[in-house]
Amino acid sequence: MIVFDGVSFSYGSRSVLRGVHLSVGFHERVAVLGGSGEGKTTILRLILGLIKPDEGRVLIEGDDITGKSEEGLRDVRMKFSIVFQEGALFDSLDVKENVAYCLREYTSMSEEEIDARVREILGSVGVEQAIHLMPEELSGGMHRRVSIARSLALGTPKMFLYDEPTTGLDPVNADNICRLISDLSKDGRGFIMVTHKVSDALKVADRFIFLKDGSLLFDGDSRGLLHTDAPEIRMFVEEINYQGPGCR
Amino acid sequence: MDIKGLLSDLQDFYALSFRGLLGIVRRPFYFKDAMIQMDYAGAGSLVIVFIVDLFVGMALSLQLSAELSSLGMKMYIGMIVGISVVRELGPVVTALVFTGRVGAGMASELGSMVLGHQVDTIRVFGFDPVKKLVVPRIVSSLIMLPALTVIGVAVSLLGGYYIAVFVSHQSGTFYWSSIRNILTMENVLAGAIKPFIFGYLISSICCYMGLSTKGGAVGLRQSTTMAVVMSIVMIIISDFLLTRVLLYVLGFSV
Repeated sequence: MIVFDGVSFSYGSRSVLRGVHLSVGFHERVAVLGGSGEGKTTILRLILGLIKPDEGRVLIEGDDITGKSEEGLRDVRMKFSIVFQEGALFDSLDVKENVAYCLREYTSMSEEEIDARVREILGSVGVEQAIHLMPEELSGGMHRRVSIARSLALGTPKMFLYDEPTTGLDPVNADNICRLISDLSKDGRGFIMVTHKVSDALKVADRFIFLKDGSLLFDGDSRGLLHTDAPEIRMFVEEINYQGPGCR
Repeated sequence: MDIKGLLSDLQDFYALSFRGLLGIVRRPFYFKDAMIQMDYAGAGSLVIVFIVDLFVGMALSLQLSAELSSLGMKMYIGMIVGISVVRELGPVVTALVFTGRVGAGMASELGSMVLGHQVDTIRVFGFDPVKKLVVPRIVSSLIMLPALTVIGVAVSLLGGYYIAVFVSHQSGTFYWSSIRNILTMENVLAGAIKPFIFGYLISSICCYMGLSTKGGAVGLRQSTTMAVVMSIVMIIISDFLLTRVLLYVLGFSV
């Protein structure tokens, strides 16, 4: 369970989160929605301890990570698998080395074993053919897939964190990424997906959180989201050309 | 910038510099990363160091021969070129070239890694960004800048030789014999210590500026510019201070 207990956070003088209370189970499929600069990505960074809240606590499985050192946060971070916005692949390494990054550091696998493991993971996300390409040679969709593959290299996380996984992708690629996200969660592992695309969120998530002015404006299911009277949310819902959830 | 922010930045810079230095002797060691950085900083800078130092040596020799010929003292060209290059110009010019090429590269690379969440990725994977990114760059600067300085000094002396012999029509044997005479332990030490200090300063400043990047392309431009400007200013200031200290320690009378 991830718990935000009265969490506030600001970037300089700009307040992003204001006393947020939130609980998310590791099995839940959550979409965090909201406009740009509303603190969606900040929530993911707080969960991983990449930034510390100004006020309040973040608890992961009852463990307060707020005051933990980088060393202490290592075990916490290993529970998650994160895909950052635009993939965050290492530019200087090819796809194979990106995926093998942690394998080389944390395991004593031979070169053959690493090669086999990397091919297996890349195959599971459908980009095995890209194994020798450099990140700049990948399309947007392949970039995200490789990033997901890299996050899976060390093993099975308890939960996935996706930061704008479909942003900048054409509808076909975005749909493919949604399918992949759904497939990876079929065994009961949940995810938190940060996005401003309500249509993509509706395809994969069960629970929807809408952030506005540093607070949770909405926290509920798709039915509640689509029928809410809150004008800020209605603008998001009405702007999309909702095609209906089709990935599951 | 407010005083509180400036002090906070200075504190962060000192902390990063110290951790970077400490990381050289503390596990884990990332030899492969250090080798990649050394290749970029050393082999990659060789040509530009060669060109710049060659022309600095030639210009210096030309200036001296113009001035000294009117005094009938052209035979001192070798000695003055040698002392200037070994003690002062070689280390400083090479450090400035190193800043422009390697330092700017460090700041912009780390800055774009910050903006592209690659540094966050490294942290999420359980690596210490200081160990993984900063220490290899400090190590490469501490090794490659002194090596480049030695090459730069040699090339400058060659440039000085060319002008002294083929333009000023001095004896080449006398030029090299003057150079040999000034290559005393004191003179060599006075020039040899500087590149280590400069290398540490350049890498620390540029890594700090790179890792402090905020705010997209404009932020990246600002951090890279700041990294180069601060490094150049610090090289010049520390060169003066080092010269003062080294002259005193090595027993030169001023």
